[in-house]
Formats: sequence, C-alpha cells, structure tokens
Amino acid sequence: MKPAAFAYLAPRDLDEALDQLAEHGADARVLAGGQSLVRLMNARLASPSVVVDINRVPGLDALAVTNGSGPATLRLGATVRQRTSELSADVATHAPLLAEAGAHVAHAPVRSRGTVVGSVAFADPSAELPAALLALDGRVVARSRSGERTIEADDFFTGPFRTSLDPGEMVVAVEVPAVGARTGSAFVEVARRHGDLPVCGVAATVTRADDGSVAGTRIALCGAGERPVRARAAEDALTGSDGGEDAVAEAAARAADGLSPIGDCHGSADFRRHLARVLTGRALRTAIHRAAGEATDV
Amino acid sequence: MSETTSTAAPEKVRVRLTVNGTSHDLLVEPRTLLADLLRGDLGLTGTHLGCEQGVCGSCTVLVDGTATRSCLVFAAQLDGATVRTVESLGGVDGSLHPIQRAFHENHGLQCGFCTPGMLMGTCELLERTTEPDPDDVREALGGNLCRCTGYQNIVKSVCAAGRALAAERNGAQV
Amino acid sequence: MSTVEDRPTTATTGSPREGERRWVGRSVPRKEDPKLLAGRATFVGDVTLPGMLHGAVLRSPHAHARIVSIDTSAAEAIPGVAAVLTGAQAAELVNPMPAFCAEPVPQTAVAIERVRYPGEAVAIVAATDRYIAEDACAAIRVEYEVLPAVVDPEAAMAPDATRIHETLDSNVAFHRTLDFGDVEGDLARAHTVVRTRARWHRMGAQPMETAGAVASWDPFDKSMTVYSNSNFHNFLPWAFAGMLGVSTNRLRMIPCAVGGSFGSKHFITKVLAIAGALSKATGRPVQYLEDRVDNIAANDNVGCDRIYDAELALAEDGEMLGLTLRIIDDYGAYFQFAHGQHGNAMAQPTGPYRISSLRYDVSCVLTNKVQQGFFRGAGADPGNFVLERLVDKAAEQLGIDRAEIRRRNFIRPDQFPFKTPPGNVYDSGNYAAVLDKALELAGIDDWRAEQERLRAEGRYLGIGLATCQERTGYNASEWWFLYDNPPLPATSTPESVKMDVDAMGGVRVEVGCPLWGNSPETVVSQVVAEEFGIDPGDVSVTYADSTTGAMSAGPGGSRLTIMLSGATRGAARTIRDKMIRIAAHAMEMDPADVECVDGTFRAKGAPGTSMSMADIGMRAHLFFHDTPEDESSGLVAVHTYDHPYSTPPSADRKDMGAFYPMVSHACHIPIVEVDPETGVVTLRAYYAVNDCGTVMNPTLVEGQIVGGIVQGIGAALMEEYRYGEDGALDTPTFREYLVPSMHEVPEIVVEHLETPSPFTEYGVKGAGEGGRLVAPTAIASAVDDALKPLGVWVDELPMTPERVVGMVTDAREGRP
Repeated sequence: MKPAAFAYLAPRDLDEALDQLAEHGADARVLAGGQSLVRLMNARLASPSVVVDINRVPGLDALAVTNGSGPATLRLGATVRQRTSELSADVATHAPLLAEAGAHVAHAPVRSRGTVVGSVAFADPSAELPAALLALDGRVVARSRSGERTIEADDFFTGPFRTSLDPGEMVVAVEVPAVGARTGSAFVEVARRHGDLPVCGVAATVTRADDGSVAGTRIALCGAGERPVRARAAEDALTGSDGGEDAVAEAAARAADGLSPIGDCHGSADFRRHLARVLTGRALRTAIHRAAGEATDV
Repeated sequence: MSETTSTAAPEKVRVRLTVNGTSHDLLVEPRTLLADLLRGDLGLTGTHLGCEQGVCGSCTVLVDGTATRSCLVFAAQLDGATVRTVESLGGVDGSLHPIQRAFHENHGLQCGFCTPGMLMGTCELLERTTEPDPDDVREALGGNLCRCTGYQNIVKSVCAAGRALAAERNGAQV
Repeated sequence: MSTVEDRPTTATTGSPREGERRWVGRSVPRKEDPKLLAGRATFVGDVTLPGMLHGAVLRSPHAHARIVSIDTSAAEAIPGVAAVLTGAQAAELVNPMPAFCAEPVPQTAVAIERVRYPGEAVAIVAATDRYIAEDACAAIRVEYEVLPAVVDPEAAMAPDATRIHETLDSNVAFHRTLDFGDVEGDLARAHTVVRTRARWHRMGAQPMETAGAVASWDPFDKSMTVYSNSNFHNFLPWAFAGMLGVSTNRLRMIPCAVGGSFGSKHFITKVLAIAGALSKATGRPVQYLEDRVDNIAANDNVGCDRIYDAELALAEDGEMLGLTLRIIDDYGAYFQFAHGQHGNAMAQPTGPYRISSLRYDVSCVLTNKVQQGFFRGAGADPGNFVLERLVDKAAEQLGIDRAEIRRRNFIRPDQFPFKTPPGNVYDSGNYAAVLDKALELAGIDDWRAEQERLRAEGRYLGIGLATCQERTGYNASEWWFLYDNPPLPATSTPESVKMDVDAMGGVRVEVGCPLWGNSPETVVSQVVAEEFGIDPGDVSVTYADSTTGAMSAGPGGSRLTIMLSGATRGAARTIRDKMIRIAAHAMEMDPADVECVDGTFRAKGAPGTSMSMADIGMRAHLFFHDTPEDESSGLVAVHTYDHPYSTPPSADRKDMGAFYPMVSHACHIPIVEVDPETGVVTLRAYYAVNDCGTVMNPTLVEGQIVGGIVQGIGAALMEEYRYGEDGALDTPTFREYLVPSMHEVPEIVVEHLETPSPFTEYGVKGAGEGGRLVAPTAIASAVDDALKPLGVWVDELPMTPERVVGMVTDAREGRP
C-alpha cells in the first residue's frame, strides 16, 4: 500500500504555512504527526496533491497554562505530541480527562508522533480525544491567512472526519478551561483490544454544588454517531439531582436518546447504543466519586 | 480518489540524515516512506513491513531516539534526523547486543519477522526505564504484533535484557 | 471396532535409548536465531535481482460481477510501467491453478470475464517500483456489471440461489454422508442425546509476513527461477512448473526465510502465477509481494467456516455411545484444496473418547468469498470445539462433573494403539493422567473458591476445561479419501535430508523443508549430535532448493519434527555406519566391534585407539585404496523418510485407514472473567498440560504451544472475516481483522507429559498446532462456566463483546 504522488512543502513559519494552505485549498492536507494522515495516504483513501508539513513551524509545540483575567486555560499547540500531553503535569492537574482519554489512544510509538490537535482535527467519530475535548467544553483555535477564530468544540465536529474548518484554515491549538473545584471526570471505553479505537467511549465531567448535588455535567460519546456527541438527555437527567445511584441510573438510561450510531464490524448500532447506556453509568459513577474527593486521580 | 493533475513528477526533497551512524545526503521523492528508503535505497532489509498502516509494529525503528513506525513517516520529513535500525545492534564480529542475546536466551522469536521491530522498541524502553517489569513492557511494545510466539517469551526476553543492561551498567560503575 | 494391524515399532539398534539421550530432549538454544536477530535473514521481500521489477494487483471491489471491459491504456502509458496484464492476457502465459483433487471449475490467478469474491485479481502490473505499479493499477479502467452476491452458505444451497459457477448444477461443490459403526443403534439405545447448533466463523492465518515470489523467466533457455515463501518447492515442484508453463526440469524454486505461515503458505499458487506471468511478459525478474490488503483479501489463508448440527448420544451413566455431525462448510468461491479440511477433521472427530459410532455428513458450499486454504488446525479445530461443547452439555444435563464424565469415557492406556470409528489410529496416550495433572497445575479448588467469592460481588469468573486431540504427521490420503474415485490418490508425504561429512570431518545437512518459524536447523542438529555424539553447534544446516532437494512435504500438519528427525536419523545412521566400516578397516577390527562415541570411532568398551571424524572424513574422501573394497569415496547420504505408519482407505470407505496416527493430546484450563454488561472477556490465567510424546526440545515445544494458544485466544474472542450483505469484505485490514496483542494474553503455564509414540524415531510426536486446536474450545468452556448463573450456552466463535451481550440477553429472555 503505497501513497500517490504529492508535492511536499515544509514551511518555516506559520504565515508561510497559511499562505500555502490558502494557495492549494482542498488539494492540500496538513501533516503534523501523520499517524492518521499517512495511514490514509498509504491506503489511497486520501491522496492530496500537496502536503504541508508543519513540524518545523516554531511555536506550535507549546503546551501551557495561561491565567488571564478569567479562569485558567490549558492550551496545546498543533504539534504537541500525544505522549507529551499524556505525561504532562499541567494536563494532569488542569485537564486530567484529557490525559485519561489519551492513555487509550493507540500505542506508545504512535502517541510519540501523533498530536492532540491532529486527532481533534481528524475528527474520527470513534476517537477518544475529540470526545474528551467535547466533555471538557474545549475549543479549537483556527487560523487562516485572513485571521484567527475560536470554534467551540460543540460546533467543531460536523460529521465523520468532517469539521467546520474552512478551506485554507488550520487548527493551531486547542484550549480547555482548567478544571474547577468540586469537578470530577472520567473516561471509560470498550475497545476490542487495548489501544484500539473504542467501540464506544464516554467522557464525562461532573461538577458538584456545595450541597453535593450535581451542579453541571457534560457527557460526550465517541463511537456512537457520525461525530462525537453530547448525551444531552442524560446530562439533563443528572443535573440538579443528588448524584446518587438512582439519578445515575436514570441518566444512563437516557444516554442513547437521539443517537444514530454507525454500525461496523466491531459493533452494530444497537450494540453501541447499549454500550452508551452502560458506559455512561460507569463514567458518571466514577466522575461523581472523584468530584467528591480532594484531588482527581487519573 | 484524486490523482495528481500535473504530468511532471513532484520535486524531490533533499534529506540529510544519519542512519546507523553513517551520514547520507539524499534526494528523495516526497512519497517515499522511511521504511522503503531504508529497505530499498539503503539496502537495510532488517526493517520489515507487515501492514503499512502502523498497526503491526514490524517496521519500528528509532528516529531521534524515539520508537517510530517507519511506514507512517515520509523520508522527506527527516532532514537532520538520526535513524537507528536493527542493523545497528550486534557487532561486525557477530557478537550479539545484550537485547539480542536476551531474546536468544529466552526464546523470544520464532519466524523473526516482527523481531526487529520488537528489538528497536526495546531499545527505546531500556534507554528510558531501568529493569522494566512486564506491565512496562506491554505498555511500550503492546502495539507490536507477533503471530508466532504468543508474546510470553518476548516479555520475558525484554525483562531479562533490562536486568542484563542494568548489571552491565553496575559493573561498569564498580 | 477393528484392531490395529501389527506394526513393528522403530528399531533402535546402536543408539541411545530414552534416559541415555544427551541431545534429544534438551532445550538446545535455537540455531535459527542469530540471522533473524540481526535482521540478516532473507525473506522474499528482501530478494533483489538485477533489473527486477515490482508487481501490483488491481482487485475487484465487488463480490460478484461480470467484467464488461478493461482499459489498460492509461496505465501502460505511465513512465516506469513495463507490463499490464488482464486475466485473459495472463492466461496466455501461465496456466490455471493446480488443485489437490480435480477442482470442479478452473481457477486462474487473475479473473477472466467474471469475479467471484471481493478482492479477486482483475489485472496485474509490473513497474520499476511498487509505488508506480500501484499508480498504474489506479489508472486501469474496469467496467463491471454487478451480480447478486451470495454470502450466506445456507442460502447458497438453495436450488434457485445465484450460481457461483454457472457450469455447476449448484453451489454445493461436494456432499457426502458417511456412517461408521452402528449410528442408528446408538441413537436409539441412548438414554440422553445432547444437541448443539454451533457456529465456527471464518478466520485466517494472517502471518506477519505476507506471501510473495520473485520470478525470473529466461526466454532463451526457457527456464524459470522462483524465490518464494511457498512450502512445496520440494514436494510438488512439477505442479508449479505446470502452472507456470515451464518444463518440470527447467524450474528452480528457491526457498526464502518465511515470516510465519500457519498453513497458509503451502502452495500460494496465485502469488507465484502472478509473478511468473509478469516475468514472462517482461522478460525480467519480477517481485510480487502481497501487501496486507492483498493477503487478507486473496491469500489462501482462510480456515474453516462451519455450521454444525451435532448430537452426542450417551447412556444413563454418561458413557458416550455415538456422535453425529451434520456440517455446512462455506468454502468460498473456489475449491482448490477440495475437502481436505474434512479429511483432516476425520483424524479425530470422536476425540479422546471411546465413542463407537460416528456419522459425518458434510456439505461443502460455494459462496462469493475467498476460498479456504489451511490454517493451523486445518479442519480439526472446529471439530474439537463442537465435541467438547457437547461433552460439557452432556455433563450438565446428566448432572455429572465435567472432568468425571471425561475420565469415564477416555480411551485407556492399555487400549493403544487405538482404532477410531472412521479408521484413523491413535498411537499412544494417557488422557486421564494429563487431565489430573492439569487440574492440579491449575489449582482448580482455589479457582473455584475465587469464583464463589467474586460471584458474591456480582462478578463473573469462569474456569474452562477441554481435553482434545492433536493429530500430527498427516498422510496425503486425507486430501482425497472422501471421494470414491479421486483423480490423484497420492499417498506420499515424505521428508528428506542430504547429509555429508566432509574431508575435515565437518557435518552439513541440507534439508528439503523451508524455515517457517519452527526450528528445523535446531532439530536436525540435535539429532545429528545425538547420533554422532558431537556438539549440535558444530552442525551446519542449509536449505535445498528444488533442484537439489529430495522429496519433502515440509512443515504442516504438525509433522516436521517427526519427519525431519526420521530423515536425519536415517541419513546419520547411513553415514555413521559407513564411517564405522571405514574406521574398522583402518584399525583392523571387525565393524561390529567399533562404536561412535563423542564424535570418535573406537573399539567398543576399550577406548584406546580411536579415529576422529576428520580422520575418517579425509580417508573416505581422498584415500580410496585405504577404504574397504566395496565402499565408494565420500560420505554422503540422502535419506527420504516416509510416513511411518499409514494404511489405505477401504474401497467402500467404511474404514479410512490410518492416516494421522501420531496423536498428541492436551488438557487446557483457562480462567476468564466476563463482564456481562459490556461483553468483554478477559483472560486471567491459563494452564495447559501437553503430551506430544518424546519432547525433542522443551523450550521450542512450549513456544509452539503458547503461540498456538494465543492464536486460539484470537479464535475464541476476536478473529473473524465479516461480509456485508452485498458481499463486501468488512474486515480488509488489521484494523478490522484483529489478532491478539500482548495485552490480551495472560500468563500461560505449560507442563509436559510424555507417552512416546511407538511409530516414530525417538517416540516424538508433533506439537505445532496443538495450542490452537484446544484453546478456542477451552475458552468457550470458560465463558460458559462464567455465565452459568445467567443460563448462557456458548456455541459460536468468536465470542465478540456484542455476541456475549447477545447471549446474555437471549438467556435472560429465554431464547435458545
């Protein structure tokens, strides 16, 4: 399985990269980690005529916590490796869900090259990191030659391997708000083998109020639709409840509401709905438990 | 599926890289995978291709010290890089590297096709972790598939290699 | 039951008996390792010849279609492309695939006019590199008329089903029912008849290395050289020659190191034909190496795909009386290996039990899928699965402990050699001892206690048990004996080596088999060391190509250790005896008074005067006048070792004869935990006691067993070819067809028990397939045991998470 021919561009700064993307439009693909793109190209499922390698663009590999006037923000640049995120103390502290989800992604050598942003931009509906971003209320920072904009995760994933990026636009970073007090998170999945894409995965965050009730929750599913989706009916069922077993069970029962999973050889649509319910319950139990604890354990 | 519309072949890319200690200054087609550069242009056929999707791990080499799927990186990306393959292990006199010796002593291979990938993954692991335990080994090599051995002896071999290297280091310090 | 005819056991004159052996039975380090560890072994993809081109294949996206037109003009115009061939063009250069029995329809490596499975080759290309060859494939324009795809084998059997081959009357390529013993009587007499409808899905060998060939056609002397990872270069080279359109004495097939096979690379005729056709078309060497997609789609590595309706008839006390098997086997679109997988299954369908009657009713059905080949187990794997399920079911229905019901029915040690109802013989065994040892090894009581403890926590631990046969060392009759009038009723499955001792006393052995990942060099060296008393490290082993190798069927059917030790011992004895005669002559003694000990030749019991291997070697090579009058110069022997015990089938096929009589046996006890909500099965521990007769090299045998067990884990939990309703292959790559990683493997503990074979040299039996023959059904048994409180019954493999959840749901809702 060998790729079709393409022109290789290795821009030295971001402006050059954006110029190249603007020039070539839909004929070009951005190459960061390449662990998804090169795989597709080898199979000729993607045959861009131009590949823009952004690995030499300075500044894109920054992983940082910024404390502006508002709550702290964790920002990962486009070439931050998945392995870096997985081992980062900042991620463990401020967005443990990202690290927990990230540990399930493929295997060490793939995570050493693959990037967090790349996985988000690839928008595989079964993948862990897009779902984690959704559960974390994250956002994507996109740049093009005409400027920069921020796209909320809720608005970013539009279909299988499709995002709301415009031609000529690339993701330069993802940002997640640092996890607040009394917030617990959990990521659980069923995969055929360790490291495989999940048949279904659930990323959940739960924030408790002072009285212990559930002040808010975000539940994101992967492998359960054409894109990572929020289980809004489950969220509604849980919010305001006491977070006890009955509330969790009711939320879990609603987790598959409105889902249109894509069935494949690893699981039918009905099986994915079933897993969505089972795993939502498990993720919520763990997240609620962690929300009650002093520190989130990853 | 789109095809290149221009009839001219895309421009070759200059890549200066070091492979197993030897420096090369090459002009490569953009689409040449690192694995094919190694196996074809450089005649280093010890690195094997099993899937060309990054799933089997047979093609694993070290790029700048990091275990890398050579089927998922274009040679063109590696200007300035250092690459190590299985041929860098073992001596010209036929002596086995301690990792190779550990695999031999613990029956860690049968057909040998996945073995170079296992060995290079082990190199990185043992540079990062002293005396890994079986869980460490699975974490590092879990993406390397083997169809022959059933893995048990591979894990044993890697742990034995870890102990051997640690003993060597300790011996050197004494 | 008829008795086994008297058969002399192997003579062991002049050589160490068990207990005195120095090398046979030791874990000698593996000779094959250094070159593999160094990355210096030559696999077929590493072969480079001057001017060599690279091949690629355009494959059909449809399961069933008529090829309306093929336009190769754009492809041919691409720079670097040397040849583009359609099926019709390739057919002018190479012939259809040879078949084990007469194939009901011809099969060509590249489809002509019609494609019959997704991924069937439609056109082939040779270019300066694989990248360009694939560019050319992408530029070939094929117009298809899509036809209805036949995916379900039962639907395929209907008289009005779409015909896979229009020249046949139906899609049932073969059907036969055979009764052995008093089947009806046993069914009538039974107190209990347990039944199961079981499903063993389509799986494939998926070795890490794909199949490939480098073919180099010389149009001037009409000869062809082929490097490949095929097994049969010294077994059926004339069949390859016929296919390639080369005179049988002008084909040279050269073996390469093989990156695993598990039965899939015996023949690989399509791959050789493609390389050969392209070489003939271009006049240059051409390498065709399957990529993973080629291999999964079109290699003959697919195993059985069976639906069983089975019954086991038992007396009230649990004595097993009779077994009936009605089997529908989905063979795919071609039938190159005929029903050989059922011949294979017939070696042991009644397992280790004294079952006295058998009905074997098999229908081989054609569908729009890639054809079956051979995959480790080769047909006996689903047979073991079904039988052990029936035994577990019987134990439950009769209220007898499942270990106890097995003990009651095991063939007893004093009954060997034992003739089974279909006719195959089991040479030796002690099944009760293996079972008891396994139960002790597993610490079964502790696991039962753990199971109880976990059940109280709402968790589901399961303990599996399976006691199964592993037939080893096949005779060719299994390929054809289900036919009354086979066109080629072959009965030879020999193995050969050529051994020579040179003028300096150096020993070299040239083997006829290839290196598949087993250990022929090590085994040969151990045998030579045993026979001469030299160090195995001093023996040099090389691999013969088809022009120098004598008949060798190579690895497969777990035969190689048996056959290679027979061939090596035979050659060693011939040379050693000659060296004794030469030494005796030189030392003026009677040959009967001379022995070979520790690589020296000396008077028996009086180590004084002696001669070294080098002394005799030099004398034999160059000193004709100083050797006995009737001896020729040199020390070389070619020894062909034939199957040690086989008998033909009877004309009425009431007795298939002995064709696979060296029968190993194992008991496996896996421990699993099942999550009934998600369907995930996790292996916690695994215990196996294995009896493969005399163990040639314990470490190597354990490696084979553990490797086979892990393939068995794959069969039990994840391996499956899946097809859409339109016939599309839904599992085309390693992301969909899943094989176990090291994360899915528990600690596997293996112990041995040895009941030597009376038929073989040293009493060895085979060990290659055993792990995969037993593990799938053992793990099914464990999952069954785990989910017993939920009323689940396992009868389908693989047990994917979705299937497990389905079983739990069905049981809860009272569905069978």
